[in-house]
Amino acid sequence: MDSRQKNFLALAGLVVLLVAAVWAFWPPSQRITQGLDLRGGLSVIMSPVGTADQTAMERALAIVENRVNGLGVSEATVQLQNGGQAILIQMPGYKDPKKAIAALGQTGKLEFVEVASLPTTMQPNVTAGFVLPKGSYTAALGGDVITKATATASTNKLTPGAYEVDMQFNASGTTKWASITQANVGKQIAIVLDGRVVSAPVVENAIVGGDSQITGSFTADQANQLATILQSGALPVPLRFSQTEVVGPTLGQDALQRGVLAALFGILIVAIYLAIYYRGFGVVAWVALGSFAMVYLGILATLSRAGQYALSLPGIAGIVLSIGLAADTSILIFERYKEETAMGRSPRMAAKSGTRHAILTSLDADAVTFASAIPLFIFAIGPVKGFALTLMIGIICDLTVAMLFTRPAVMLLSESVVPKIPAFFGVKGGGAGA
Amino acid sequence: MRRPYIDFMGKKRVMFSISGVVLVVAIAALAFRGLNLGIEFKGGTAVTITNVSNATVAQVRSAASDAGLPEPEVQTTQNGFIVRSIETSTGAAQTEASALASTLHVAAADTQVNTIGPAWGSNITNSALLALAVSILAILAYVSVRFEYKMAVTGVIALFHDAIITLGLYALLGREVTPNTVAALLTILGYSLYDTIVVFHRIRENTQNLSKKTFMAMANDSLNQVMARWINTGLASLIPVLCLLFLGGSTLQDFAFALTIGLISGAYSSFAVASPLYAMWKEHEPRYQALKKRFAEAK
Repeated sequence: MDSRQKNFLALAGLVVLLVAAVWAFWPPSQRITQGLDLRGGLSVIMSPVGTADQTAMERALAIVENRVNGLGVSEATVQLQNGGQAILIQMPGYKDPKKAIAALGQTGKLEFVEVASLPTTMQPNVTAGFVLPKGSYTAALGGDVITKATATASTNKLTPGAYEVDMQFNASGTTKWASITQANVGKQIAIVLDGRVVSAPVVENAIVGGDSQITGSFTADQANQLATILQSGALPVPLRFSQTEVVGPTLGQDALQRGVLAALFGILIVAIYLAIYYRGFGVVAWVALGSFAMVYLGILATLSRAGQYALSLPGIAGIVLSIGLAADTSILIFERYKEETAMGRSPRMAAKSGTRHAILTSLDADAVTFASAIPLFIFAIGPVKGFALTLMIGIICDLTVAMLFTRPAVMLLSESVVPKIPAFFGVKGGGAGA
Repeated sequence: MRRPYIDFMGKKRVMFSISGVVLVVAIAALAFRGLNLGIEFKGGTAVTITNVSNATVAQVRSAASDAGLPEPEVQTTQNGFIVRSIETSTGAAQTEASALASTLHVAAADTQVNTIGPAWGSNITNSALLALAVSILAILAYVSVRFEYKMAVTGVIALFHDAIITLGLYALLGREVTPNTVAALLTILGYSLYDTIVVFHRIRENTQNLSKKTFMAMANDSLNQVMARWINTGLASLIPVLCLLFLGGSTLQDFAFALTIGLISGAYSSFAVASPLYAMWKEHEPRYQALKKRFAEAK
């Protein structure tokens, strides 16, 4: 395969990539997840008072998750951050911040409630997730009597692969639990965390030994989660609000529109400038900038789909900054090309060696910048992370476009078009025949 | 088409003096005025309200006091206000912010409330500093292995130059420093480095078979060779950021300000700090000292 074929192949590769990118990001308002600062909603960071070990934080996380689920938010995410020393809760689009903050700030109260003691109209509703209104029930037993709760694989041959949860009580708990279970054989006992039913198993026999199983067709995850809640209904570490952000939806959309407008304006002015300065190659730069933008959006949409990305205000600033990065590779190539033709090389030779040198320079500069962005992405929190990510994506897109488009385009143009109209490309005509 | 040839290296004392004066001013501003750290670092509440009809700063301030926000400071934005307060209780801040919004007849959709607990700021600062330290080590290691350690050291000196000048300007103007500022600053360092590497790349290319001129003269040639690229890329990076500075909303303008200063300083330091320092250092190597001697005698 000669270089001409290789170049056409690269251009074909770019077309395929662009089609895939457009398919991935169109329509952008749906395909690219918007962060909380753009969509509006509630973002909370809770961190322990003092430091907490990893297990304690993981248990706290499970409890916070339970509280968030209790609010019925559809897209909430709860995750550990800052080296496991903080919990980030995000509820995009959530409209009742006061309620959420009150729920998150609870102390974590685990109770056992006899379903038979509830109002008869309420009884059929008692399943996992049901919220018992405050004051509508009295707990038969508090969760503080549980000494240990573990998830184990079920020994029951009828339900292979299922998990169950074993609970152990302290002495006073054992006595009370025996009398409660005795009175409720064949009836449900609800396990209630912060007023919300976690599970409502039916009592099979009176349990006198203080050692009981909750069976059912739990998966390993469900059983572990239930065990966590049982063992540590109360938070294992006291948490406090470190950062709370409540964003009104119109506010974020306004900022987004301004950001997009600024980015489009910036690209337009840069494109005009490049066309004036580089004439024929300015057009090549336009296509390169356009391709860069599409590949970039394609990557953002793909990451969004995988749940790994949400566009935020820092992200927009990072994207605007990467316009310069995208233009730079084209500029490096054109300048090197001009230099080599000025030295008397034919456009064809200049294209071959010039683009190679320029891309090598770009590659080194990109690699250093990339190496400096990785630690920012790993260690920093908040906006620094988002910024570092956009920078890294920018570098990848830049190199992709340079290899698949800018270099092949400059080489192909130099074979036929540039020698015919050298002035249009800002190249001296003399060397064309050499 | 002849390009102008500029004797950058001959003017290195002028360039160092400019950098020196700006650095002294920046350090003095940091020492005497200090940075105006945002609530994210100290703890507190910021309430952003937009679409406010007919309210003055004084009215907003008194409304904030009436709503119970302690020690409110009011700043105007393009289409509203930001009220900052020392309130660190999340629950109380919510109640006070809704009271403020309803006094000013602003809908909840047009309101943003950001509350930071007292100890959280040090977390953000520490993580950013750790990230910066590891990042600089990564740069030093990479450039030392791929190029040489003298390039790594002078490149990193230029980075500190840019960081100090940007922060110094924040101190001088009393502009609020937020985590966004920190993010912008760290990213700018990456860009500044990019610029420096492009110059170093050319110097290294020209170093091969260097025998017809001094290292300094060759470095000056290299700067002239990459000058057109330097100007065009500088403009292509700066123009979009300036658009953001003029068209973006308040948060984006915050970024754009730091980016603008950083881009200018970064472009300057690649030419005026990193390259001359590197060339001066290299001139001390026996091989290049011999070249220098030879051409000094020839003159």
